[in-house]
Formats: sequence, C-alpha cells, structure tokens
Amino acid sequence: MRYSAPIGALSPTLDATFFALSDPTRRGILERLGSGPATLSQLAGPSGLTLNGIKKHVGILERAGLVETEKVGRARECWLGPAMTLGEAGEWIEAHRRVWEGRLDRFERFVERAE
Amino acid sequence: MNRELRYERLIQASPARVFDLFTSPAGQREFYGKDVPGWVVDSSCELRVGGAWEIAFGPSPGELYRHRHVFEAIERPRRLLLATTETRLDGSRLAFSTEFTFAPRDGTTLMTMVQWGFPSDELRDEHGHGVPHAFDRLARML
Repeated sequence: MRYSAPIGALSPTLDATFFALSDPTRRGILERLGSGPATLSQLAGPSGLTLNGIKKHVGILERAGLVETEKVGRARECWLGPAMTLGEAGEWIEAHRRVWEGRLDRFERFVERAE
Repeated sequence: MNRELRYERLIQASPARVFDLFTSPAGQREFYGKDVPGWVVDSSCELRVGGAWEIAFGPSPGELYRHRHVFEAIERPRRLLLATTETRLDGSRLAFSTEFTFAPRDGTTLMTMVQWGFPSDELRDEHGHGVPHAFDRLARML
C-alpha cells in the first residue's frame, strides 16, 4: 500500500474553509443561518455591522462553499451551503488521526518486542 | 481554549524504558516506519531543548514527506514537548504542537500524545455553541 495521504496537505478548498471559519463574525453568520435562511439585512442587524461589512463576510463564506445566496426581489437571501467542504475538513482530520494512531501502534509493538 | 487531538497507548514497559526507546534512533525510525517495500525513513535527532528531530519518510527517495520537531521541553522520563512542522511535497507547511507524556500505570506506561494548534482549532471550538449540521459531524470525529 502506498502512503497516499500527504498529511497536512490542505487543499485550496479546505484552506478557504478554515480561513472562512477563523472569524467570529462569520461563525456567527453560520450559526444564524443554521436556524434558517436570512437576508443580508437580517444578518447585519444583530452583528452591528453595516450591510457592506456583512456582504464581505458572506462573500468569503460563499467562496468557501459554506453559504449560498440568491437575489430575491430587492434583498439577497442567504442559507447554508452544501456541507461538503466541512466534510473535507473532517476527512482531513480523520486521516491525520489515523496516520498518528498507526505510528503509536507501531511504536507500541516495537517496545514490546524490545522487552 | 484550543481543542486538541489526543491519543493514548498502554505500553508494557516502565516510563523510563518507553521514554528511552522513543528517543532512541531505532525507536524514532520505527515510529515513522511502514511495512512497505522500499519505504524510506531518514531520521536524525539532537535530543536537547532547542534541538531538532528531523525525519524524511515516504515510499521512495523521490517522494519524501518531512517532519521537523523542535524540542521545547525534555523532562525524562515523563514528558516531551515538540514544536512540529510538516512539510508537504509541494513545499508548503503546517505547524502544530505535539506533547508526549509517559505516566506509570500498574507497572506499565500510559503513553499519551496530544496535538494542538491546527488551523481547525477555532472551528472545533464552535462545537457545543449551537452551530448545527456539518459542524456537529466534524466535532464527532474529534
């Protein structure tokens, strides 16, 4: 079997996901959208940000695939995007864990052989 | 507070023995080894605070991953603290902290490895704060 998981090799999508999630305002937006779609104005209300400020944050989330938006009349409606990018984040962490678990297993067997 | 990845093994030897084997050249090569024909492990270690344990490993000399651990604390036989940098094939890097502890348990050793400082820490910190759907799925893996 080849070593096929370049651990730490975050893909551009995953980098974008982590960057998007690194900001508390953007996490707040996702939390709000978790309870249902909202317009940019509705998102701006509780955040204390201007419409333009919220637009920038939503744009970053949108580029990471975490949020989708659509213009509805004069408003822009936002909702949670497909969860596939977070799935990728989870898969990366799980792959990282498996590799290090394997290293510990191997070291454990080495100690027991040496005893 | 950063979340962490935690791994534990109960090893049938004393903490001093496990610590010494883990910091030996043979133990370090074994840690990065793999039962794959042609697998390469090139390890060198300067076991002192500020010194580095550097490993190149992979399926062939032309395809090597590199880890560099700088020792931030060495407390034989109970603890090692390392600043770890993984270098990917494309040359980009990922840095995180790795701590090994070796605690006595009924004549054996509870070896614990904890890693933290990943870019996902803030994501994982959100678990339990009501962010639904995929966030929960990710957190369950941790």
